[in-house]
Amino acid sequence: MFNVILENLKLSASSVFANKSRSMLTALGIVIGVLAVTVMGTLISGLDKSFDKSMSFLGRDVLFVGRMPWFSDVDWWEIRNRPRMKMEYSEKLKSSSALVKAAAPISMRTANMAYEDKSIMGSSLFGTIPEYTQTISMNIKKGRFITEGEHRSGSRVTVIGYDIAQALFEDQDPLGKHIKIQGYKFRVIGVVEKQGKFLGLFSMDNQAFIPLGTQFRLFSRRGWMRINVKVDENRIEEAKEEVRGIMRRLRGLKPQEKDNFAINQQEAFEKQYRAIKLAIGGTGVFITILSLVVGGIGIMNIMFVTVKERTREIGIRKAIGATRNMILGQFLMEAVMICLLGGLAGLLLAYGASFLISQVFPSTMPLWLAIGSVFLSLFVGVFSGLVPAYKAAKLDPIEALRYE
Amino acid sequence: MPDLISLKKLKRHYFVGGETVRALDGIDLTINHNEYISIMGPSGSGKSTLMNMIGCLDTPSDGSYEFEGELVHEMDDNQLASIRNRKIGFIFQTFNLLPKATALHNVEVPLIYSNTPREKRLARAKAALTSVGLEDRIDHKPNELSGGQRQRVAIARALVNNPSIILADEPTGNLDSKSGVEIMKIMDALHNNGNTIILVTHEDYIARHASRTIHLFDGKIKHDKKKSLKNKN
Repeated sequence: MFNVILENLKLSASSVFANKSRSMLTALGIVIGVLAVTVMGTLISGLDKSFDKSMSFLGRDVLFVGRMPWFSDVDWWEIRNRPRMKMEYSEKLKSSSALVKAAAPISMRTANMAYEDKSIMGSSLFGTIPEYTQTISMNIKKGRFITEGEHRSGSRVTVIGYDIAQALFEDQDPLGKHIKIQGYKFRVIGVVEKQGKFLGLFSMDNQAFIPLGTQFRLFSRRGWMRINVKVDENRIEEAKEEVRGIMRRLRGLKPQEKDNFAINQQEAFEKQYRAIKLAIGGTGVFITILSLVVGGIGIMNIMFVTVKERTREIGIRKAIGATRNMILGQFLMEAVMICLLGGLAGLLLAYGASFLISQVFPSTMPLWLAIGSVFLSLFVGVFSGLVPAYKAAKLDPIEALRYE
Repeated sequence: MPDLISLKKLKRHYFVGGETVRALDGIDLTINHNEYISIMGPSGSGKSTLMNMIGCLDTPSDGSYEFEGELVHEMDDNQLASIRNRKIGFIFQTFNLLPKATALHNVEVPLIYSNTPREKRLARAKAALTSVGLEDRIDHKPNELSGGQRQRVAIARALVNNPSIILADEPTGNLDSKSGVEIMKIMDALHNNGNTIILVTHEDYIARHASRTIHLFDGKIKHDKKKSLKNKN
């Protein structure tokens, strides 16, 4: 049997390569199908990676209490009229619930930074308290974070992000240097480790921290504020309810009144992300199935043509001793070969595409998907080649020999 | 040793448009080893059907066909293919070579189907081509060969599996007279080497090469004459 298989392999190869443009056009559907499924997989793997990285920054057991829900189904005018967050809430939350492990108010604004002749515009400036570091995953690369004393006294000290350090100091050591934030002099006491972009959207390295007290003193008490609340990781849902109850009490809401604040969680992102992922995956799978089905039909069609064209050859082969299975194998092999070559071409293109994607955000083509897509094209080949090959195998040798 | 071929009351009927065509209508025929037979008859007499039947390309509607003692009329598709491959060598009027394959590969194909290892296969295919005088044409494709050369490739292909019988259907029908004479010389030589040959023809001068001539008419054997002297050209 081995000799026959080898012969069929050679025959298929010579037939496929003898009709190069025909084979190429026929395989196009498979190429697109494989391309779609692998690019989709690459995209999702990349998104997963950057999402996980961004999410690890947020932490599952941290609640973010603010005016606005992250993904809102509440009308904007309702949110606009909500009262502002106050830093006092932070203390109250911590003292009223045993489930709250740490709480830190964060007040944010944008600011311009300068050191000597260098400056950087539109950085995020966060005013917060030392407990902030317990509510968020962040490593200090050099120096230290803000202390309680600095917060209370309103000291002009700052911890800067990696990008700011790079932009203002390049190779110099920023520690102990004085930079200007919105024209006020601040001493750099720490540099945060490089964190990258959050969901690929905005840089978490172009930000600086100052004591909350300082922020209030120099800038406004008003402005955007959020409270990070770290809760017992085993009782997150319970803690969320407690935080909600405390907030309602602080706000003096009557039972029939709706919440005029929002408690956000990493989960909200996950929900949103799952929907996006489903959309990408669904589109990819849809395109893949569509092009594979259309491609498969195209291959079936071309195989019928091939069988017809080579009717006489089939008759000759049968006359000199080819069995049905040998003929079946010959044409099945040809269909599979077209599909496999199409699949490999698709994979090659996908490799190029994934390289381009990886320039935008870190991603890799999952190996299982690459292998899987090759098997998929194999399957399409068998599926679309079977009927024409069976037709060839069943031909009556006498009639086939007479065929002109 | 059983007869090479034994046909008893062999019938082959077709149904075309509600009518029964009796292509073969009760053939009794015995063929021995090393016979040289020609089958003659007008068109529609059943020559080709009988040839296809003997060549195991067709199966009888009724009657029995024994090939070297094996019951062909009871065989399935794979067994028939195997008999065609190992026991029968076909030579066609239109050569029926694979157009994209070289002479050597054309001769190799039956050996591939009988799963002969590559080395042995090449040696035997080359030997067969040498025996028909084409040793210097083995890498030529059919369209690079003359009609006579093509038919010689076909003969080499028919011989390569050492078949029990060679079936030639109008082997000179598509050739000029000079090539025809060459081909018949080869056929005679094959017979002299001990091969059994059946020739279908409607030319008397071709039929005269054979030592036994069977005339068919309306699917029946009209007469079956043996020459007393063997013709040795």
